Amino acid sequence: MKPLKSAEELNRAMEAYADMVRRICFVHLKNRHDTEDVFQNVYMKYMLYEGAFENDGHEKAWFAKVTMNACKDWLRYLARRKWVPLELVSEEKEALDDTSTEVIEAVWGLPEKYRNVIYLYYYEGYSAVEIAGILGKKENTVYTWLARARDILREKLGGEWA
Amino acid sequence: MNAVRESMERIQAPEELKQSTLRYLEEQRKQKGDFHAHPVWRYVLAAACLFFLLSAGGYSVYFRPVSYISIDVNPSIELGVNRFGKVVLEKAYNKDGQDILEHVSLKNISYVQAINKLLNDENYSRFLDGDPQLVFTVISDSPDTMMEKINAAGYLQAYGAKTYTSDRLCMEEAHQHEMSFGKYRAYLELSQWDQGITVEDCHSMTIGEIQNRIESCKGHGVEGGSKGTGKNHGHHHGDRH
Repeated sequence: MKPLKSAEELNRAMEAYADMVRRICFVHLKNRHDTEDVFQNVYMKYMLYEGAFENDGHEKAWFAKVTMNACKDWLRYLARRKWVPLELVSEEKEALDDTSTEVIEAVWGLPEKYRNVIYLYYYEGYSAVEIAGILGKKENTVYTWLARARDILREKLGGEWA
Repeated sequence: MNAVRESMERIQAPEELKQSTLRYLEEQRKQKGDFHAHPVWRYVLAAACLFFLLSAGGYSVYFRPVSYISIDVNPSIELGVNRFGKVVLEKAYNKDGQDILEHVSLKNISYVQAINKLLNDENYSRFLDGDPQLVFTVISDSPDTMMEKINAAGYLQAYGAKTYTSDRLCMEEAHQHEMSFGKYRAYLELSQWDQGITVEDCHSMTIGEIQNRIESCKGHGVEGGSKGTGKNHGHHHGDRH
């Protein structure tokens, strides 16, 4: 049994990955309280994680995968509660201009698996091979999802999404 | 696709969220960390466990299950848990379950860890997609404690799982029919409502299909004649604690 991660390790991971964890939550969850719960759960899992990371890239990919899984579990829970959060992430929406809001809402409208690949590919800059590794899917599946997601976004947002 | 990047750039983790999370983690560390913080006690405990295992009887005590958990979706998997809460027995009761256990071992870890490992296993989690029914059935002298631990891990919330208790007689009968005791308990409940149902019928049904049939029978007030006279092998603990 390895010791829990130190406060220093947690501080470092917080500075390094908090924005990414928050963004992945933002892509999936529309409620501030849900986001806070999932955000805390992700870092709790990190504090308890006993495995070793080969390098920073491996650690970052771990955070991305764990956050996506945590969001998926949370949405599954919400679906079973048959309860729709009314309080959308107003704070973030205030920070967005009209174009960004349109883009974000188009991304929100994508199926969950497409949201993940769009985020990892276009924001985090992962390659399809790397995304396949993070999501545990085949490379061809990632390419297919990317293509379909692009088609949907192009339809919603116009031709510049070529 | 710069629009995604530009839009996402504006989303950042607020400082308050970071600080409140760090405070939460420190609180959790205090609760969980005392044991971790003093490695010498881990070695003392490990030595004591080793001594116990090597001593006469220790081996058989460790490997003797005292409680059982049946986890049913379509794969039906049973875990045998020893008095220390470790999984010492794993058995699958259908092809899907056997395929999963060929790739993932659930032994010698706590039953909560085993359930976590199973539910996060890629081969298993595909059975949780859509809207399946996940059912935990427990046989134990202290079922409430086991249920609480399973519930504390969040599975009942995350998967909308149902929990039941059963008994060893039910387990023995189930195994005679090559069926997990979780699924067999559901069969017994259904048989109280539907006189025509057989164990063979239930072999080819998922636990969700059996549960739906029970709900359907209840909804229509169908009584098969055996209700109230059959053996009561199970007790429903609800779908969330």
